[in-house]
Amino acid sequence: MDKYQYQAVRIMEYVMLVAAIILIIFGKITGDTFFLRLATEALIFGGLALSVDLLLGIVGLLSLGQALYFGFGAYLSALILRDWVPSFWLCILLVAISSAILGWVTSYIALRSKGVYFALISFGLAQVFAKSIYNTRALGASDGMVGVPIVQIPLPFLTLNLGDAITFFVVTFILMSCIYFALKYFLYTPLGRIWGGVRSNESRLPYLGYNTQTPKRIAFILAAIVAGVSGALYPMLRGFVSPELMYFSVSGNAVITVVLGGVGTLIGSLFGSSLLMILKSIIGTLTFHHHIVIGLLFIVVVIFAPKGIVGILCTKLKERATR
Amino acid sequence: MLESLQYIYAPQIINGLSIGVAVILMALGLTIIFGLLDVINMSHGEFYAAGAFLGVSLMGLGISFWWTLIIVPLLLVPFGYLMQELLIKKVFHHKDRHILTLLLTFGVATILEDLYKVIWGANTAKPATPITGASEVLGVMFPNYRLFLMMFGALLIFAVWLLIYKTSIGSIVRAATLDRNMSASLGIPVNRVYALTFAFGVALAALSGVLLAPIYSVFPTMGKDFILMAFAVVIVGGLGSIKGAVIAGLLLTQLQSLSSLFISPVWSDPIVFAVMVLVLMFKPSGLYAGMKNG
Amino acid sequence: MQMKKIVLAISSVLLGSSIAIAADGPIKIGVVTPLSGTYTPIGQQVKMGLELATKEVNASGGIMGRKVELIFEDEEANPAVATQKAEKLFQVSNVDFLTGTVNSGSTLAVGQLAERNNKLIATTVSFADSITSDKCSPNVFRVNARAGMQSAALATWLAKEKPNANVFYIGPDYEMGRSTVSAFKKAAEEKGAKSVGEIFAPLDNKDYSPYFGQVRAAKPNVIYTSVAGNDTVRLLTQMSEYGVNKGVTLVGAAGTVTSQNIAATGSAAEGYVTGVGYSAKADTPANKKFLAAFQAEFKTQPDLYGTDSYGLIYFYKAAVEKAKSTDTDKVRAAMKDLEWSTPQGMKKMRGGDHQAMQEMYAVKIEGGQFNVIGRVPAEQAIGPDTCTRF
Repeated sequence: MDKYQYQAVRIMEYVMLVAAIILIIFGKITGDTFFLRLATEALIFGGLALSVDLLLGIVGLLSLGQALYFGFGAYLSALILRDWVPSFWLCILLVAISSAILGWVTSYIALRSKGVYFALISFGLAQVFAKSIYNTRALGASDGMVGVPIVQIPLPFLTLNLGDAITFFVVTFILMSCIYFALKYFLYTPLGRIWGGVRSNESRLPYLGYNTQTPKRIAFILAAIVAGVSGALYPMLRGFVSPELMYFSVSGNAVITVVLGGVGTLIGSLFGSSLLMILKSIIGTLTFHHHIVIGLLFIVVVIFAPKGIVGILCTKLKERATR
Repeated sequence: MLESLQYIYAPQIINGLSIGVAVILMALGLTIIFGLLDVINMSHGEFYAAGAFLGVSLMGLGISFWWTLIIVPLLLVPFGYLMQELLIKKVFHHKDRHILTLLLTFGVATILEDLYKVIWGANTAKPATPITGASEVLGVMFPNYRLFLMMFGALLIFAVWLLIYKTSIGSIVRAATLDRNMSASLGIPVNRVYALTFAFGVALAALSGVLLAPIYSVFPTMGKDFILMAFAVVIVGGLGSIKGAVIAGLLLTQLQSLSSLFISPVWSDPIVFAVMVLVLMFKPSGLYAGMKNG
Repeated sequence: MQMKKIVLAISSVLLGSSIAIAADGPIKIGVVTPLSGTYTPIGQQVKMGLELATKEVNASGGIMGRKVELIFEDEEANPAVATQKAEKLFQVSNVDFLTGTVNSGSTLAVGQLAERNNKLIATTVSFADSITSDKCSPNVFRVNARAGMQSAALATWLAKEKPNANVFYIGPDYEMGRSTVSAFKKAAEEKGAKSVGEIFAPLDNKDYSPYFGQVRAAKPNVIYTSVAGNDTVRLLTQMSEYGVNKGVTLVGAAGTVTSQNIAATGSAAEGYVTGVGYSAKADTPANKKFLAAFQAEFKTQPDLYGTDSYGLIYFYKAAVEKAKSTDTDKVRAAMKDLEWSTPQGMKKMRGGDHQAMQEMYAVKIEGGQFNVIGRVPAEQAIGPDTCTRF
């Protein structure tokens, strides 16, 4: 990462933080719940985008099926909270472990190939999984499952009620920040360096004595955990799950938010997700032909700003510095 | 035994053939674009839809079905050309070409689907079947139009194969896609060739739209009908290989058709995907690798 | 850019809440309905029915002197989007009432949201029995006939016209498709029909020809189907092309052939019989008046979705007038066992499960028209109250 990218990322991090604080203050003043919960949903899907960016921007693998792990986490979470015990910590822990296992198992199928083929396998896997859930009556079949209770988080000194919009938003923000910084940390470890090597020139690494499959597998499992845990939060927010959470549109949207924000920047995913959610909400209310507007937006971004918003910021910074 | 062969398996096989021809027609354009131009065209299904819609409109104006078979693909050529020139070319030389073209064409697909709804409305339409009646084949009745479709489709596939592998136009296209710089220095207008190839690919999709509309009807979300199968066929058959697309198309549709006899129909799509995933795992280049072998 | 985003967000909320504060303004009814994607035609009928009724109600003074305002949001037939939009309508626009959901997944999810926001919703389309039976909710009302009622009407007609029939079932493999088939199967078997086979094809299946061999082998004299939309066009025209429907009575669900696909299905739909809560050919003065108004306003015919949505506004009006308030608990109480007038005659909202009762018709498609060929009274059609939640 060059100096300008570093700066740009820092700026974006502060922007997200400031925006969150403003939103919380705004929420406290007006008693609003909708926008806080919308922002929470944006962060939840931002987590999914993070998992996509980890694979795409960091390791160089385009996954078109991350929604598989997201949906898996969501359904598992719904089942645990509704039918077993409504415990936040237990749920997150179980989902994280199960997603890791699922990621590990599926990695043996997906990591057999690279590039476009990897993308298509990931897509195919998500489709098969989604179809299977759709056909399973025990999981609500096409209707999904409602009735997920509102959870409380017991901490040593106080109990957080996730039914309160501000509380849930803060919890999600903190959780996503932890995930974000954890992933960022990985980037500066030797593992992270190898990932960078895989992204730029994978065929060379074995000559240098590095095994590429293991680092890729680790990234894949990490991405599965991130996506799964993000998914686990969804039923806590909305009280239900449905097969649509695993459809291609969810995976596709995640990729779009990553590109919008800036591939490989991690912060771009969170920002992109928030931006896209707000845009869709506003455009959706203005016109029923929102698909055309969003489609045009994508095309414009892809052609004129393929490095995303962080990329634009980067360029602006460079311009300022070299003026 | 013979009876079950005649009344149960034979109809399934023949049905699978008619579906197979439909899928192969869709996959042909896709494999040409994917294999020759290395572009993942997520909007391919929307051009199939465009063909169907245009066909319905033209027939509504009184033009006969047979003329629409010629007019509609020709109408799509400028659109395909423009799409390649104005949109795809801009991201083609980017390092992340695959992702960007995927996203770009995905954006185009989103726009087109909504656009069809705006222009033609949301209700379903269906053009009248051009050849009515049914004939008996091996003791089972088959609609004549489907029989026609199988034969015409086979001819069309053969014609495309001839065009690409046995004509000088075809060799120009193949040369331009295999080695851009060399072809350019030999005087081939590479950009134009690329654009025309893309246009040809989507025109094929549109043609299948017109052909299949009487059987599968026409509505704004129809672009998603065949696209998944088409991609599976392209992958399994091998990118850019027409022979591969044909064989994979026949195989996969037969698999779907015959499997519905033994398992619940909802698993037929997952089975096709499972096959696609297996092929990707063990022979990612598909059954017939690329351009060289046809 | 982030700043602009925030300013925009703040201003829209302030705007929204300022409208909410003005308590004596219009009565706001939120409509979360699919206006893009596969179910658009249904959403459009819902929109038209609601708009026509709202126009009429406002022209005659509104509800308790207040005008009715409809606020539309596109749910894209996705429960995740539906709940997000519904929450916006509940919390930002502060709607008094919500309707419009089409698929049962959305209705159930939005219903749960309504409970958490202490608001009432009604569906005018979803006909999964579960919504007013095992998954009933005190905040969810259903104005349209449910699958069980449609089956009752059809099964009664079938038992009379084709006693002890051999029935083959073809349906789309998702919750609605399956439950519709099982509802009819139960009703038909009780009246002596025999089931000779069933096939559930995937939703959006393109080609039904692989299944015709099975159908033929079973030798049915009645085929029942619960497909809808484009699947109907494909199934019926393909059956007709292959001659599968020769000598077979074709029956099916109410939503199978509607104004959305009847033109495309054409002659293949001829002779199709179904049990449904509405027919444009029903001969009541209320229906004639409604038909004329709908035709004049939208230049097209209403189908059951448009008609039931039209009736919803009058239902809400009657409830609010009876409760003399838009307060959730008062309106809910007023809706219990409420009777009101609709183009389909008088309907009664059964208090025990929030399911509307109405006379059901057996309807046959002849020459592209839905002719009424049989009737079943409301009490007979509705079936038992199996909701235990309230």
